[in-house]
Amino acid sequence: MKLNGNLRVVVVAVCICGLAATSGCKWFRRTPPKSGEQVETPLSVENPPMGERTAEGELVKDLNLQNVQFAYDSFQITDSEVSKIKAVADYLQANPNTYVVNEGHCDERGTAEYNISLGENRAQAVRAYLIGLKVDGSRIQTKSFGKDKPLIEGHNEAAWSKNRRVEFMVYK
Amino acid sequence: MIKYWSVVLLLSLTLAAHADEVSVVVSHSGANAKSVLDLSGFKQSDGTAEKLFRQTLENDLKRSGWFTIASEGKKGAYAVKGTCRQAGRNLAVGCLVDNVLNNSTIMDKSYNSESTQARKLAHAAADDIVFAIKKVKGMASTRIAFAGKRQGAKPNVFICDADGENMMQITRDNAICRFITWTPDAASILYTGYVGGYPDVYMINLSSYQKKNVASYPGINAGAVLSPAGGRMAIVLSKDGNPDVYLTDASGKNPKRIVRTPFASEASPSWSPDGEQIVFVSDKSGSPHLYIVGSDGADPKRVTWKGNEDVSPEWGPNGKIVYTSRRQGKYQICVLDVATKKEDQLTGDWVDHEDPSWAPDGRHIVCSQTSNYHSDLYILDTLGDPAVRLTTSPGEWYSPSWSSK
Repeated sequence: MKLNGNLRVVVVAVCICGLAATSGCKWFRRTPPKSGEQVETPLSVENPPMGERTAEGELVKDLNLQNVQFAYDSFQITDSEVSKIKAVADYLQANPNTYVVNEGHCDERGTAEYNISLGENRAQAVRAYLIGLKVDGSRIQTKSFGKDKPLIEGHNEAAWSKNRRVEFMVYK
Repeated sequence: MIKYWSVVLLLSLTLAAHADEVSVVVSHSGANAKSVLDLSGFKQSDGTAEKLFRQTLENDLKRSGWFTIASEGKKGAYAVKGTCRQAGRNLAVGCLVDNVLNNSTIMDKSYNSESTQARKLAHAAADDIVFAIKKVKGMASTRIAFAGKRQGAKPNVFICDADGENMMQITRDNAICRFITWTPDAASILYTGYVGGYPDVYMINLSSYQKKNVASYPGINAGAVLSPAGGRMAIVLSKDGNPDVYLTDASGKNPKRIVRTPFASEASPSWSPDGEQIVFVSDKSGSPHLYIVGSDGADPKRVTWKGNEDVSPEWGPNGKIVYTSRRQGKYQICVLDVATKKEDQLTGDWVDHEDPSWAPDGRHIVCSQTSNYHSDLYILDTLGDPAVRLTTSPGEWYSPSWSSK
């Protein structure tokens, strides 16, 4: 069977949609901003490689950036969190001499080892989103603390939900 | 198994024949058969060092799992004889092991060191006795490295002897530390520490206590472990977008990704004893499980299927992989025999067990055990003796790793 160019694109698109539908949240976990949000979707949903670390400068304080929250065992960015990431993108674009470290954290459940990876995935998901919002990737580092640096001490959902987060540390 | 039963049978027959002289020869049956050791022929003079030597030796022989010590007036299958005397500043030890049943001497050694080294000397003698009788490597002279924090203090790396004594803090990082492994020569320790702010890998030498940074790539640097020959290092890096397994040279340079899964995370590589394969954790199936890959990156295959999560594998010198598996909501220690694909669950109590590591005897395992949000280290026995608590200082203790020698 020979397909013409346009049809081939459609077939590929249908296949990708099918894959996305059947593989559940896995596929969407790294999905960049949705279309229709005036953000150009990057070509790949794979996370972009990291740039070299910058020596930490001076921490910019009192920025009132809000932590991005996550569901249990997930690094998917939910709709309610998008505005928080946009606020960071806006700040970085207005202040070209600054850079940000996304600090990824988890709640206390699960092994330490698994949570280091989960925290890193959260930080990287937010990094990919910022890059989707046209922030230069070389200005965004990630740092996972796993479950070792809870915001709230406590062994209940109230503490856990606050602890599943990415914090933004902005340096200049 | 057949071998053990025939030993028991043989000993029972011998027992009947020597009923007068030998009262108990084997105190357990099956795989956990214990030989009875008669220590009454080992005499020491009355000094502190000599008494410490004797006490440590006896404790080591019990902890080895292979023996019960004959009670006073009773004989055993093997008799340890000899003397321990202070001579000037030194301790002089002569140690014989007799096989009582066939009336032969199977070990005859002497030991000598400064009397401050009484415990070390006893560990060496205990390991020699284990080898002479059981033909297996002992664990008394080995050490365990781990992370933790004393009550009210910040985290650091610690080491202690296999019996929990001589606990020492070996870093002054006061920062989160995890993923501790020994170098194959047991001279240094690799760990991930946040001493510079980021999760980076450091190597600390246990003679000089000099510390050097070996990996500080962007993102995480975790789970670093040297190959058995020491020339290569497996490590988890996220510099290219998400956590994957890489190989570097021994100094952390020239990273080459061997497992690439853009939509999943990898963790915890551990080398096979021959250095040809690596076991690691991947969540590419949707939850974390163990996979084995050739050390050239060829042909990764999933090898665990029973748990909801399978993490923290360590490939032992006996060819078996010990790991943590989530079963009915709790983290339990399991052992996978790679050759037979047989899985055994070692723990089943209602607490969490993490980060298992093999003793060089291939029989014991150290792991952390957490209940009521408090962690201590425990030594487990794959042949069924009860678990023994290793850490006794108040604090939180985790991420243990057993030295290879």
